[in-house]
Amino acid sequence: MEDKNLVRTADKIQEALIRLKHGRYLELMRQLTTFAGQLQELTTQSRKMGASLANGWFSAAERCCKGVSTQLSDIPHSVSRIRQLTDAPQKEIPKLSSLVDELNQVQEEFGSLELDNAESTMSVITEPITLDDVYLGPFRVQLELKKFSELYTASPYHVIALSPNPAATDETVTHPHVSNDKLCEGDGCVTIRTALEQGRLFDFFTMVRSILNTYNPDSPYVALIDWSGEPCYDCGYVASRDDTYYCSYCEHDYCSECSTYCRCCDESCCVGCSEQCPHCEDHVCMNCMKECTECNSLYCSSCLEENVCPNCKEEMEKDNEDQECKISETNQNGNPSQPETSEAEIKLAS
Amino acid sequence: MRLLYINNDGGGFADYVQVSEGTTVEQFFKDKMQGSKPDDFLIRVNRQPVPRECVLKEGDRITITPTKIEGAEI
Repeated sequence: MEDKNLVRTADKIQEALIRLKHGRYLELMRQLTTFAGQLQELTTQSRKMGASLANGWFSAAERCCKGVSTQLSDIPHSVSRIRQLTDAPQKEIPKLSSLVDELNQVQEEFGSLELDNAESTMSVITEPITLDDVYLGPFRVQLELKKFSELYTASPYHVIALSPNPAATDETVTHPHVSNDKLCEGDGCVTIRTALEQGRLFDFFTMVRSILNTYNPDSPYVALIDWSGEPCYDCGYVASRDDTYYCSYCEHDYCSECSTYCRCCDESCCVGCSEQCPHCEDHVCMNCMKECTECNSLYCSSCLEENVCPNCKEEMEKDNEDQECKISETNQNGNPSQPETSEAEIKLAS
Repeated sequence: MRLLYINNDGGGFADYVQVSEGTTVEQFFKDKMQGSKPDDFLIRVNRQPVPRECVLKEGDRITITPTKIEGAEI
C-alpha cells in the first residue's frame, strides 16, 4: 500500500477511535441510566412495603418482596457492565504516525493489507489453517471501521472463510469457533477489545489469527471430530455424531428418521431391524419378539403371557369356560337324588 | 530504565515498566511471563522481531502476544 493511502487509512482509523471513545461514554451513560432506574424502583418498593405493613396488607408486602428480588438479580449485571466501562484506563487516541506504524507492521506480518475505501473496511488474509488434520482454508479478517464505535455492543469485524470447508451439519460454521462469519473470542475477548480500543491493529489481527490457529475442544460450535458428520446408512443424510443412532443388530449408524427404539428393552435399533407387534403395534427389537407357543406367531415379550399371545390366551380361556360349563351340565344331568317330574306325571298323581 | 510493555496474554494490559539496564529480551520474558514458553508467543520490540539475546533500551516498546488463544462457543 502506498504511503499516502496508509496515511489516509490511519486518519480514518483515528476518526473511528474518536467515535469509539464517544461511544464508550454513551454506553456508560446508558448503563448508568438503567442502574439509576433500578435503584429508583427499589426506593418505590421500599415505600410500598412501608405502606403495606402500616395497613397490615401482607399479600401486598409479599408482592413488594418479589419486586425487590427481581431488581436485586438485575443489579449485579448492571454493576459489572459499568465496572467494565469505568475501570479500564482510557488511553490517549494514538497519533497518526503511530497508526501508520501499526498498518506497516500489519502489512509486514500478513504480506498484505487490503483496504476498501467505499465500505471503509480493512482486511488481512491468514495462511491456510488446518486443525487436527481438518483443512479449513485461509480466512479473511475484515475490520469494519464504520462499526468501530459499536465495539461495546457488537463485534466490528468479520472472519470470512475464503475456501470454506464448513461443518457437515451446519454450513454457517466454517471453523470450530466461527459461526456466521463471527468469531467467538473466548479467552481472547478482553485483550482483543483492549487492542482495538487502543488502536493496536497489529495486536488485534495477530490475536484473531492466534484464535483461528487454536482449537478448544471444550467449547466449539461443532467439534472437529464431528466435522464431516456421520452419514445415515439408510438414507444417506449427514448428521452430527450426537444425532446418529447405532443399531447393534446390523451394526450401522442411522439418522433419527431411520432409527427407532425397542419399547421393551429401550435399545436403539434401525427401522429395518425392528418389528411391529401385531397386538400392541409397538416397534420392538428382534430380541424382544417371541413366538407364541400356541399359534407360532411373533409377538413382543410384553404382550406374551407365559409365552402365549393374547389371542390364544383368550381362546384358551374361552375353551376352558366352555369345558367348565359342560362339566357342570354333565354333573347336573347325572344326579339321581333329584329326579325331574313332568307336569303330566303330577296331574296323574293328583 | 523505562519501557512500554504490552502484554496480550490473559486480561492483557499496556503500561510502562521499569527494568534494569542490560536486560535482554529473554530475561524480560522469563521475569514477566513466568512458567510460559517463549515459543508460544510472538515477541516484538519496537514492532520488529528480535533475537532473544537482544538488549532492551530505554523507551523500547515490547509486545508479547500468545500464538495460541482458545476461542469458545458463545
